[in-house]
Amino acid sequence: MRRTVAIAISLLLGASTAWLVPASAQAPPPWKQGQPPELANSPLAPVPQPPAPKAPGEIPVDSIKLPPGFKASLWAHGINNARAMTWGDKGTLFVSSRVAGNVYAVLDKGNAREVKTIAKGLNLPNGVAFKNGTLYIAEIHRITKMEGIEDKLDNPPAMTVVYDTLPKDAPHGWKYLAFGPDGKLYFNIGAPCNVCIPPDTHANISRVNADGTGFEYWAFGVRNSVGFDWHPVTKELYFSTHARDWMGEDTPSDRFDHAPKKGLHFGFPYCHQGDIPDPEFGKDRACAEFAPPLIKTGPHVAGNGVMFYTGSMFPPEYKNRAFLAQRGSWNRTQKSGYKVMMVTLRPGDVPKYEVFAEGFLSGDQPWGRPVYTSQMKDGSLLIADDYAGAIYRVTYQK
Amino acid sequence: MLVAVLATSTAALAADVEAGRRKAEPCAACHGPDGHATVPGTPSLAGQPAFFTHWQLIKYRDGRRKDAQMSPFAANLSDVDMADLAAFYAAQAPRARASTVDPAKVETGRPLADRYHCTSCHTPALIGQQQVPLLAGQDLQYLLRLLHGFRNGTASDLDGTMTMAAKPLTADEVEALAHYLASLTPR
Repeated sequence: MRRTVAIAISLLLGASTAWLVPASAQAPPPWKQGQPPELANSPLAPVPQPPAPKAPGEIPVDSIKLPPGFKASLWAHGINNARAMTWGDKGTLFVSSRVAGNVYAVLDKGNAREVKTIAKGLNLPNGVAFKNGTLYIAEIHRITKMEGIEDKLDNPPAMTVVYDTLPKDAPHGWKYLAFGPDGKLYFNIGAPCNVCIPPDTHANISRVNADGTGFEYWAFGVRNSVGFDWHPVTKELYFSTHARDWMGEDTPSDRFDHAPKKGLHFGFPYCHQGDIPDPEFGKDRACAEFAPPLIKTGPHVAGNGVMFYTGSMFPPEYKNRAFLAQRGSWNRTQKSGYKVMMVTLRPGDVPKYEVFAEGFLSGDQPWGRPVYTSQMKDGSLLIADDYAGAIYRVTYQK
Repeated sequence: MLVAVLATSTAALAADVEAGRRKAEPCAACHGPDGHATVPGTPSLAGQPAFFTHWQLIKYRDGRRKDAQMSPFAANLSDVDMADLAAFYAAQAPRARASTVDPAKVETGRPLADRYHCTSCHTPALIGQQQVPLLAGQDLQYLLRLLHGFRNGTASDLDGTMTMAAKPLTADEVEALAHYLASLTPR
């Protein structure tokens, strides 16, 4: 009751902290928030982000294990904290980053790639999307654009604001950005905590017109989704979600969800993985109230990129499969994730959920972390690695 | 409270401490020959974790962290330069600065490091790790400047954690914490 009153007061005052704590304790760093007393001595902590990308000689591409007929090569390197990818109309690959604060343009010169930094010093600019000659960039606090960028890579145009009426919370504030089939820009606004009752402005997937008008919330109860795509045929949204931490090695599972329409609530913070009530917030709610996950993708796997394959290079069974890039765990003793998984939807049956690419662990430490995938014109698949600062290209030959 | 002190990450560039020593010669005028600065307001760099120093140089180079003296130095550094410099300073044994601390403020500050969870990231001995800096024995004026900067949202923050951590501090608590941290001997 006191917490509800406290939150109401903070909203009235316009404060951004949603997860107020009793006066007797101070808020721990975000990664420790929600840690129960019995886990207070846990050595688990987020994987530190290296400040520089790996040199090519330090990237063991041959360790990437793929199904028969598939091969991975080092396509681009030296891209510090390489994250989401989007293609320009003229063949430029724009690549985002998170804590590095940069946006890159990668040019394919045939036998090598050229990497340019077209923006730096940004506020965790994870989201990049391209339309009609314009690159859109989503930071924590705003969506901006660079018009006509592909012809001005060496002298990028100024970033102009598209939309900036956004919360400024750093925890889960970085965004994935993508144009939907309806031409609107979709992005997440993550919960500003590990677990809490978020303000109405958080824990959702939202959308806005490319000119910044018409903002609306679209999906609710989504703790933090930094990857989604629309099915090539049905045009329906499918998204990944990071579930809460500090509830155990194997609970709750992260999620892959289907949102066929606006307005669904996916359970956070009341219900995790569709069937586990939150120990604190789930007492007065029933999991049956909320949309369950399409796939429980595994505990702490950290699913980011979601991408439906539409190419012809891979065998026919790959058409309309979704590639799920899983950045990998920190809140688990035995690492999970650090893979690219693939989902085959089967109407009337449960989806198939299988490994596509693995081998990013060296012993029990990662040498790379796959975060997003992107399809090239020839149907090959690019995998961005934000830990090694590189992009791998996966090809198929019978 | 135990803290995750991860083993040296295999992700670090293969850095050259000796090359770093040479490259650090221009830095010595302010930061001291082995990273032991003496001028109040200038931080010591000896014993700072390599990831931390490297990230700060990136932020100075990219303009995310602004300082009239540091920005020009960082502007022309390559990734290799930064890695070498960071490795050199990480390899130097830290020493407490000769800051004049107020014993009463030190005692007030002592319980705050746990209460405000500084030890969660900076380690129980406050010597830092990975991308988190060593605080024990750092210069008092520098600590005050940075803590006030995080508290009022003007200091550059890699991912928002320090800004959030410093927000609930009162001005008196900033003083007490800074005096306490400056009074410590780094181990």
